[in-house]
Amino acid sequence: MKNITVKDLMVPISEYAKVPLGTTLFEATLVLEQAQEAYDHSKYQHRAILVLDENGKVVGKISQLRLLKALETGKSNTEEIDQLIQFKFGEAYIEEQREKIRLDSKLLSEEALATASMRKVETFMQQLTPGEYVNESCSLDMAIHKLVAGTHLSLLVTRNEEIIGILRMSDVFAATFHAMKKRNLPATPHKEKNDTSAPPKKSGDDTPAPKMKD
Amino acid sequence: MYELEKLFNRIIQRVNINLRELGFDVTPFVEGHVNLEQMNKFYAFYGISSDIPLDLTFTHSSLAGSYFLGKCRVTNSLLYKSDIRGDELKRKGHNFQYKNFSIDLITNELIDIETSALVKTLVHNYSHDPETAERFFIKDTLSLDYANIHGAPSDGCFLGPFATVDLTTIRDCVIGEYSYIQAGEISHLNVKPGTIWVNSPGHFNFLYQYPADKLPHYIHLPPYKSPSGLLIDFIEDRKKTFNRVFDSTSQEETIEVPKTTSLDRYAVVLPGTTIGENVLIAQRAYLENSYLGKGANAQENCFIINSRLEGCNVTAHGAKIIEADLETNVFIGFNSFLYGKPDNRLKIGTGCIIMPHTIIDLHEPLSIPSDMLVWGLITNQKELEANSISLEDFSKIDTSLTQGGLHFEGNGAAFVQAFQHRIRHILEVNGAFFHEHNYNIKGHAQNNRKLSLNSIQPFLFGDMQGVYPDITILP
Repeated sequence: MKNITVKDLMVPISEYAKVPLGTTLFEATLVLEQAQEAYDHSKYQHRAILVLDENGKVVGKISQLRLLKALETGKSNTEEIDQLIQFKFGEAYIEEQREKIRLDSKLLSEEALATASMRKVETFMQQLTPGEYVNESCSLDMAIHKLVAGTHLSLLVTRNEEIIGILRMSDVFAATFHAMKKRNLPATPHKEKNDTSAPPKKSGDDTPAPKMKD
Repeated sequence: MYELEKLFNRIIQRVNINLRELGFDVTPFVEGHVNLEQMNKFYAFYGISSDIPLDLTFTHSSLAGSYFLGKCRVTNSLLYKSDIRGDELKRKGHNFQYKNFSIDLITNELIDIETSALVKTLVHNYSHDPETAERFFIKDTLSLDYANIHGAPSDGCFLGPFATVDLTTIRDCVIGEYSYIQAGEISHLNVKPGTIWVNSPGHFNFLYQYPADKLPHYIHLPPYKSPSGLLIDFIEDRKKTFNRVFDSTSQEETIEVPKTTSLDRYAVVLPGTTIGENVLIAQRAYLENSYLGKGANAQENCFIINSRLEGCNVTAHGAKIIEADLETNVFIGFNSFLYGKPDNRLKIGTGCIIMPHTIIDLHEPLSIPSDMLVWGLITNQKELEANSISLEDFSKIDTSLTQGGLHFEGNGAAFVQAFQHRIRHILEVNGAFFHEHNYNIKGHAQNNRKLSLNSIQPFLFGDMQGVYPDITILP
């Protein structure tokens, strides 16, 4: 486990779903579907799409959650909100009204779906932040830390300045718990009522545990 | 005609140049509507009073059917059946207080209209802009039927029919039909029709917009046609009665009124009307089979028909009250249209504030309890519940309220107090509280009794047809 690096678990960028700026939401979902069908290296399917600029550089990421959110916010930029901005309402009030419009809108109506499907990816993609990049030679420990700290579903794997792959949380999860299983750790006994016993000491864990009372 | 066409085209060009950033062209809204042939058919007139400075200058302008009072200068403009009422202008030697600024006035305030076309528009009040305290300017501006420019200096703007700009300096703006704006200072805004916006930055912000599919029934401004809708039809149906008043050269006593009441010679009063003490009836007001109790008023372009106003009621410029019973101290804002029917009357309890540009069009009887704030479009009880709130509850708002198409942000109590303060001020200046032992509270109702009227005429033929000679009128 200690020897596993990011490079060992990443999905090469060539196998990932990618779309250029200007792609519609519907076109992006079709690309994701195609990438899922073509990917057979793992039982965990791709769940995200990368957005590339005109130079082929990754500028954004779209998770399934983002896609659903795009459906929900499809009506948020309404004329009513524009009017509130024009007539100088405060940020907090406008945000409150935006949220109200989101909640009131019928997401699965034909009109809402049609509107959302035409949204351009750049209007709802997630902008990349510095914490989302990880070097290919980094240890898995570092990658887990980045995933947890940033609550990311995946990280972009870099070699020098270039993005060469995606490290998915599902693959990191599988590798981590596969390693755990290989150690034949005993399962934690079910804690009975009034049972004051401490959990068993884990193998390889040097942390002192309280001793059982006589 | 040649000179008048040249004059009008120049005004249109000036307005369009100012509105180029908004991409707004006023041409379609005047072609087919403003008829220059009409301009030599009506005389202009002005008021003379010992209480109001007389200082009028007309240069290269058409003034057809328009009325002037106070200190006004009109240059290169076309005014059609408009009222330029300068009885509330600031006076020389007085002090104008604006926030922390105390501004000494070294001349009488002037209404200065330049390169503008005002159609059936009311100009009233005084400039609330501290930057131009002695000059209430209206420049490069086009306003259409029944617009109100109320204490609102304007430069490079278009006001649609029944639009009101109140106590607000506007620059390069389009104010859509039936919109009411009170916001201190605005520029480069295209305000869509039926927008009611009252903004006091740092205190409150009130916004209501009429449903786009409902407003055209009441007022609609199609390109290359005249404005249409129920509001226009309502006024057109009573136009002939006004023609009789304006065609008559002598002042006929239509009704006896108390000596503390002013009934303008150019108001229409039809049988069945009773007018109490301290009442102001302005020119172009229309009263029919109605009762106006002590301290009530009917300002310019108001219609009060088959109704009772119990006293101290403000009927602001352009408001219409039909088949309604108003208890005391009810405020009806600018251009409101309270349209009860004989079998479906409207009752309004004491102390209510009917916001400017409210439409109540009834097909069932409706009763509004006392001390309510009412706004927007109401045709039944359910819509009243959506578009009203008690003043007490509104005063409790300290962050925001969203109700019935209303967006409100800020302090509700400050909003209510501002309105109540202004309503009291309006009643005061109109003379509602006058009594014979206190002359300090005389108002328009008492002062306007001492007003006489003179008329002036345009060239009737030739290149200058419809244009008035350059005239200066001084005491």
